[in-house]
Amino acid sequence: MGFLKSALWALPLWAICALVGADQVVGTDPEAGLPFWAWEDGALEIRLVQRLPDQTRAFFIGRGFSSAAADRVARSCVFQAIMRNRAQGGQTPVLGIDLTDWRLDAGAGVRALVSKDVWDAEWVAAGESEAARIAFRWSLFPTTQELRGGDYNWGMISLGVPPGTRLDLMLSWTIDAEPRGAVLRGLTCAPEEILEPKQE
Amino acid sequence: MNVPLRLLGALAIVAVGTLIVTGAPVVAKDSQTLAPVPGRPPAPDFDLKDPDGKAVRLADYRGRPLIVNFWATWCPPCREEMPSMQRAHAAVSKEGIGLIAINVGEDADTVAQFLSQVPVDFPLPLDESSAVVTSWPVRGLPTTFVLDPEGRLAYVATGGREWDDRVLLDLVRGLKQ
Repeated sequence: MGFLKSALWALPLWAICALVGADQVVGTDPEAGLPFWAWEDGALEIRLVQRLPDQTRAFFIGRGFSSAAADRVARSCVFQAIMRNRAQGGQTPVLGIDLTDWRLDAGAGVRALVSKDVWDAEWVAAGESEAARIAFRWSLFPTTQELRGGDYNWGMISLGVPPGTRLDLMLSWTIDAEPRGAVLRGLTCAPEEILEPKQE
Repeated sequence: MNVPLRLLGALAIVAVGTLIVTGAPVVAKDSQTLAPVPGRPPAPDFDLKDPDGKAVRLADYRGRPLIVNFWATWCPPCREEMPSMQRAHAAVSKEGIGLIAINVGEDADTVAQFLSQVPVDFPLPLDESSAVVTSWPVRGLPTTFVLDPEGRLAYVATGGREWDDRVLLDLVRGLKQ
């Protein structure tokens, strides 16, 4: 078993998952009516639901952001993330999430997600209101989170690539401090829907 | 020829090993649980006002179990669990168990508008500056704590629950002195 664990650490986490042929789940979220990509592994469930740029714009303008700031977020490929520890019992196993470890590959090199702190620095520099910044902070998925049995959390994540971009997202998490990983392939940012005038 | 075969064998071992290491625990999809808070630290104090300007102080609840929820009107799971919190409040308030839901970052008008759609009769103090929520160990909304009569954090639930579930309420009742 020790040898196996040593061998596992030698490989990237997403390569391990590819080796075992674990499947991602893709479908249409019944509530949002938009595509989702999900990964389930025992106690873990991660679901990422597309958000239309206009949805995100409306949400943040409604929370007091300037239209320019709301547009910046809306065009940064935002997903609604839901992460759940489906294990029964309040103690174990503990699911750990650290979004700073997640990576995406949209064909131009591997990069990190846009963090809350990066956004917040931008809002401070742009003079966005304190109330808007509070709403923003709480509406994004926490950068780090521990979920015990029965817990779940939800929130937006922003990938920092243009609307319509297709990418692979490398997820990582821990179960009782043991690292795990997976790749969601073919994740697609919602396109910017521009209504063209109909030609008679 | 040998090298690819060995590589394939190694990969197979790794794959089997991964399956062993990632062995799925027993799960139940809709399990209702509360996680005990290690060491039961004291809950950070607060003194807030509800949308009508009435004071809501943590100290006033000392001596009985208290459910403290953090929420916002724009948070779908927060809205979803509110009716069950109202039912839980109706079930346990006569037993001396308190329930309050602290709104994060919104003003009185916004919360009053929400109350017109989802009427509840437990206190909804406003944490407009988010000073209180940031002093508590809250990572996301909704998060709910259960305090023991000494004002210590006994249980925590991250994400929504059906709060009128007897399993959860019995855990809260178990904190009574």
